[in-house]
Amino acid sequence: MSKRIANQIALALLWTSALTTVAVLFAVILYVVVNGIGQLSLGFIFTWPRGVNAEGGVWPTIVSTLYVTALAMVIVTPIAILAAVYLAEYAVQGRLVSIIRCAADTLASVPSIVMGLFGLALFVEAAHIGFSMLSAALALTFLMLPIVMRTTEEAIRAVPKYIRWGSYGLGATKWQTVRRTVLPAAMPRILTGLILATGRAVGETAVVIYTMGQAINMPVSPLDSGRPMTVHLYLLAMEGINLPAAYGTALLLMIMILGFNLSARYLLRRTRKV
Amino acid sequence: MLVLPSRSRRNGLRELSGRRALGLSAVTLTVLVSLAFAAVGCSSSGASSAEIIVTGSTTILPIAEIAAEDFTDQHPGTRVLVSGVGSSAGIESVTRGSSDIGTSSRDLKPAEEELGLIDTPIAIDSIAVIVHPSNPVDALTSEQVRQIFSGEITNWSEVGGEDREIGLVNRDEASGTREAFHKIVMGDSKFDRSAAVLPGTGQVRSVVANAEIAVGYISLGFATSDVKVLAIDGVVPTPETVRSGEYPIQRTLHFFTDGEPTGLALEYIDFILSEEVQEGVVRDAGFLPIPREGD
Amino acid sequence: MAEASAQNDENHKKAAHGLRLVSRSTHLKEAGLRNLFLLCAFVAVLGVALIFLFVGWRGWSIFSTYGVGAFLGGAEWDPIDGIYGILPLIYGSLVVMGGALALGTPLAVGTAIFLSEIASPRVRSIVRPAVELLAGIPSVIFGFFGLLILRPFIASTSGGLGFGAATAWIILAIMIVPTIATLTEDALGSIQPGIREASYAMGATTWQTVYKVLVPAAKIGIIDAIILGMGRAIGETMAVLMVVGNAPVFPDSVTDPIATLTTQIVIDMPYATGDHRTALFGMAIILFIVSMGLVAAVRLISRLQSAMEANR
Repeated sequence: MSKRIANQIALALLWTSALTTVAVLFAVILYVVVNGIGQLSLGFIFTWPRGVNAEGGVWPTIVSTLYVTALAMVIVTPIAILAAVYLAEYAVQGRLVSIIRCAADTLASVPSIVMGLFGLALFVEAAHIGFSMLSAALALTFLMLPIVMRTTEEAIRAVPKYIRWGSYGLGATKWQTVRRTVLPAAMPRILTGLILATGRAVGETAVVIYTMGQAINMPVSPLDSGRPMTVHLYLLAMEGINLPAAYGTALLLMIMILGFNLSARYLLRRTRKV
Repeated sequence: MLVLPSRSRRNGLRELSGRRALGLSAVTLTVLVSLAFAAVGCSSSGASSAEIIVTGSTTILPIAEIAAEDFTDQHPGTRVLVSGVGSSAGIESVTRGSSDIGTSSRDLKPAEEELGLIDTPIAIDSIAVIVHPSNPVDALTSEQVRQIFSGEITNWSEVGGEDREIGLVNRDEASGTREAFHKIVMGDSKFDRSAAVLPGTGQVRSVVANAEIAVGYISLGFATSDVKVLAIDGVVPTPETVRSGEYPIQRTLHFFTDGEPTGLALEYIDFILSEEVQEGVVRDAGFLPIPREGD
Repeated sequence: MAEASAQNDENHKKAAHGLRLVSRSTHLKEAGLRNLFLLCAFVAVLGVALIFLFVGWRGWSIFSTYGVGAFLGGAEWDPIDGIYGILPLIYGSLVVMGGALALGTPLAVGTAIFLSEIASPRVRSIVRPAVELLAGIPSVIFGFFGLLILRPFIASTSGGLGFGAATAWIILAIMIVPTIATLTEDALGSIQPGIREASYAMGATTWQTVYKVLVPAAKIGIIDAIILGMGRAIGETMAVLMVVGNAPVFPDSVTDPIATLTTQIVIDMPYATGDHRTALFGMAIILFIVSMGLVAAVRLISRLQSAMEANR
């Protein structure tokens, strides 16, 4: 009997922990939505902040966020995919590969504020790029590289071997095989990884706070500085004078990130069905 | 010109703190580039008449910047370049002639008085000491405030309140309000480091508003009915007691020019002193308008 | 691992064999591309080296000029007077991390066990995406939530200001749940189904199977998950920054303001110059070394495990 009671109690606790996790997620989302929804309007999204307390909209911060994310993706995508191609298709297990894997793991675990200070020291100051989209994007690149590398490598490894054999059998070279058959077959999962990494970059604060600058600006060239949405939210929240704008910014940020995550999930599910 | 990049860069970082962060500040890089431009412009032609450079206090940065934007909107073809590098650097910069207006959140030091700078007060920054509305304490002396914030007094009962620990709420080191509070109230004493440090006025206010043990300080303009403003040395801070100088925790914000301001600099100063800016931007930033002549 | 490497070798041989049949220019092109890919893979190594070099370059002199002992062991952080003891900040980081792990680990492991052993497919299809979405929510939003909802709540329950380790624990515990839960679920999922079936066949309850069979079998994976959660907790910046109160001291209670290495860097960076700035970079070096150490620990543990399995 006691074993059944213990089992019941344990199951109840496990249910509780899972439900707590789900409840927390919904509480955070609900909180942001309920408080932010009244703030959302085309005017809020598409106008500039005004005055000392940033009344008005958040348009330049949205542009800054999208700009730096796009720039970082442009830089990181080819490097990460080719690196993953190397690890999955070319590399022979050995010291070299283990060094690369170890470095990727280390890079993935670097605290984001350390990455931010690194970006400040190298790109902003030593390389004289200054507070800019480019500096922030380069710092983000190192943050995203291990993520995209890992998801891409997994995607490539998931491609069945016989596809490659077919290609080799037709006389294709290794690169032809990779480019024409392996990568296209792995593409949906690679894209999923890229989208998830994009979401990560959009939500990143500590990396960009000391590499992009904090002044509100509409970036045009990659050398322009700006203030991303995350930093805007942080400053508004800590300032505490204009909380409605903070809620609005938080909701927009949340919508963007949930959008990225859900579309990645959708993409993944669609590929599984096919 | 060589010094400027690093300074502007630091300025970019400074904007993180407090209400300055919310200023629609000209971008560091743009400032840099335009300063370089300005320098070229100045040396090669007389085009500088359509452009003025305002350098100095980071406390004044938000109002100077927002006003500059409105000013250039109203005067197309002109440019006002504002940067915040600190009061001393601002005074030095206007003395050397590298900027047209030096802004300062402190009075001139004796040595600087001989430089022949013209002083235009533009606003008053008055700091209110705030507590929870339910706190029975209504008034403190400057000395008590100093002892509370330096950690010498740690219980409300020592200043006539309930027997509860005092919850100190301080501002971050980069805050102009903290700098002023330190200079005026604390003197040589140091802040108690176990105080909560918050990088924003509104947060200080909301924390004090819902913690019964809390005490903090904010610019008087931001004090609302959520919190109780304490009388200091028997004087309740009101616009009147601040203007008359009776309320002790206050300072005047200055624009300094090398000689009487002329041309665009004069127009910009007049704009800052206009009712539009004084009642708008200056109040939004939590400062009090400067008493108008004839008031 | 061994299987993958064998497959690679096989592929390699096959490719090498194939290349003999193609022209020299194609051969060169293939070799060139191979090296290009290797170069891309080496960007990760370059990244680690650059971080070490540049953060180290900026921060190293605090160890030499101020002294390792005085920097790491100093009990006072007072940059205005040139005193840069980071012991209270290290203490703060450890306290915040420890509490978050103590709260977050049971929640995360429980969620993982639930997902892998108990949940029906339908329930799982709700809980698992929720865990993944939780991982995607930016830390600044958690901080915002903590600052405006949790802090006033803690303030009214404790009678204090509401800033402090306790508030950070709750927020961080939530944030590390996805990290630990996902990895733990992977570890549980990689256990051979036969082990489970054997346990149930002997009449064990679900809980007995989980507690006596599955958790011991997935022990290494769970420890790895906790170590990585630890890294996440110690490196987390924005969410913690918004709720700890940022006082670089040894607080009397968990509801008094405290500061961590990461939060002090963000708070001080705007105005830090000279030695103070160097000290902040020195703190970043410490954080970097700690995160590297945790990664090394995970690798070491998995190596030990494979060594143990080989001996078996």
